Amino acid sequence: MQVDKETYLLLLLSDANLPTGSFVASAGLESTAAHALFHVPATPPGSDTLAFLRNSVDTYARSTLPFARDAHRVTTAYASGEMTELDEALQALSRLDALYDASTLNHVARRASCAQGAALLTLYARGFTRPPFLMLKTPTTYLPLLDERENRAGALVAALKLRVRRGDSNAPGHLPICWGVLAGALGLTVDRGAYIHLFLHARGVLSAAIRMNALGPYAAQQLLLHAVKHMVDDALTSTAHVVSGALQDEIDPEHAEDRLPATTWPLGDLLAARHDLLHSRIFNS
Amino acid sequence: MSNATVVLDAGDGNITARIHNNHVVFPVLSYTYPLKLLSPRIQQDGVAVVYMMTYGGGLVGGDRISLSINVEQDAQLVLLSQGSTKVFKARSGVRAAARSTARPPDSTTMQRLDVSIAAGGALFLLPDPVTCFRNASYRQAQTFRLAHGASAALLDWYTSGRRARGEEWAFARYYSVNEVFVSSVRSARDVVLLEAMGTESASDVCGEFLPRRTLADRMGPYSCYATLLLYGPLVQGVIRELEDRVQKITVFQVREPLDVLWSLSPVSGQTNGRIVRVAGKETEEVKKWLSDALRGGLVSVIGDEVYSKTFI
Repeated sequence: MQVDKETYLLLLLSDANLPTGSFVASAGLESTAAHALFHVPATPPGSDTLAFLRNSVDTYARSTLPFARDAHRVTTAYASGEMTELDEALQALSRLDALYDASTLNHVARRASCAQGAALLTLYARGFTRPPFLMLKTPTTYLPLLDERENRAGALVAALKLRVRRGDSNAPGHLPICWGVLAGALGLTVDRGAYIHLFLHARGVLSAAIRMNALGPYAAQQLLLHAVKHMVDDALTSTAHVVSGALQDEIDPEHAEDRLPATTWPLGDLLAARHDLLHSRIFNS
Repeated sequence: MSNATVVLDAGDGNITARIHNNHVVFPVLSYTYPLKLLSPRIQQDGVAVVYMMTYGGGLVGGDRISLSINVEQDAQLVLLSQGSTKVFKARSGVRAAARSTARPPDSTTMQRLDVSIAAGGALFLLPDPVTCFRNASYRQAQTFRLAHGASAALLDWYTSGRRARGEEWAFARYYSVNEVFVSSVRSARDVVLLEAMGTESASDVCGEFLPRRTLADRMGPYSCYATLLLYGPLVQGVIRELEDRVQKITVFQVREPLDVLWSLSPVSGQTNGRIVRVAGKETEEVKKWLSDALRGGLVSVIGDEVYSKTFI
């Protein structure tokens, strides 16, 4: 059986052991539970997790996913050579990063986003680039399959990683931007990249729920199979036309509410921002 | 009305606040129906108060208010309202569930506020909350441009509706954008979109498999939400007070949701701004919280007399 490259990449990216730092993030779930706003009395087990997930997935798709899609588009354009200059690509990513930074007004979410973004760039640089010995056909000649696309994608990630590492104020290295770059560098389509990102967000929340003992691991699988798919599909469809606004020309204010990112769950944001006030905590966010 | 060269559209207003012999004067203070601006006499030097009002005390579908404010160097302006901004439902024939693209362009109520504040100047925007009634559709866009050294306390809040009539998060749509630029650099962009879930066709697919969740499910048990943005030298007292308060909070596992929840976050970047979020089960509790939290820091700046006009 021949598995196409995109399917194979999905297997790699959806591996729960992937070192992306997501295991220390609960996306506000821990704080929500501590504030007695998680458990819903007199409802079937799992429905509280489901309610949280729907709010969380919905607001994440509307506020954050557009940035991942736009960063992915920039990366694809640069890797394919359609966008020629490295500086142009870096500047576009920096505009995305700056707008996301100004739009993420909760310091706990901002901290978690930067930590996970940096982890993704390291993952690409150390885990997804081709090791030197696999580039060699003989000890002196290179394989012809190392194509231009892979070279350009690698150069972009390396340059961005350097900026983020230096603490460049133009490159905070937020998670959705770094995810878009990683997915674009690997050659996924924009829609597929967004799909995996949102799925991983939902699965991250479920993993946190398991660690908090709010849900058993079997029940989490049931939710993943029977509920999360519809939730993710739904959120992707209803936000497919939303763009970050950082790269597009001024969007007509009459249509801004349909085309630009927005928070749809203000309570979740407030609760997540109170995470550091919890007396005891398992997660960093 | 002195600025006769500017032709105003319905609902437009312009304010310029300037320091003249230690008093704040208004070289420009103009407005057109349904907007009304009133400035009461104040004893305190260096501060002026303007009330933003609408005829009939509310806005209906299709009303558009657009106010431009220019706060000049060292002038302090306090902007208030008289009672909450009531937003009545969109004109008849517009179903709450209609897709936005199908909505007639005149059915949404819109408020725009464009503010620029010069160095040493300050705007204290402390209005009453916005209350959207059943099926109302509301859009608000506020842009604040601060020079380096300008100050601002910007309050934006909304309630769940006309609770006395059993309306809880029963409006069709609420969309709000607050954007702050400091020295032309975007410092904060806060965008909130609240609409009934499951109204878009895609969500109905989800609805077949998953229990429907209403806006009330998502917003409850709170019925009033506030955001306060703080920038500049004249709000440092408020910021210190809030930092002190937040350091005293330790959340142990609570049994019942708290009546009032609030958070304090630094805004990213070099501006040293802060953002405060507050949610309360009752509007009055949020109002009391805000009034208490701001009193110490603001009375020393705008004075007792002016502060006593806020949060009443």
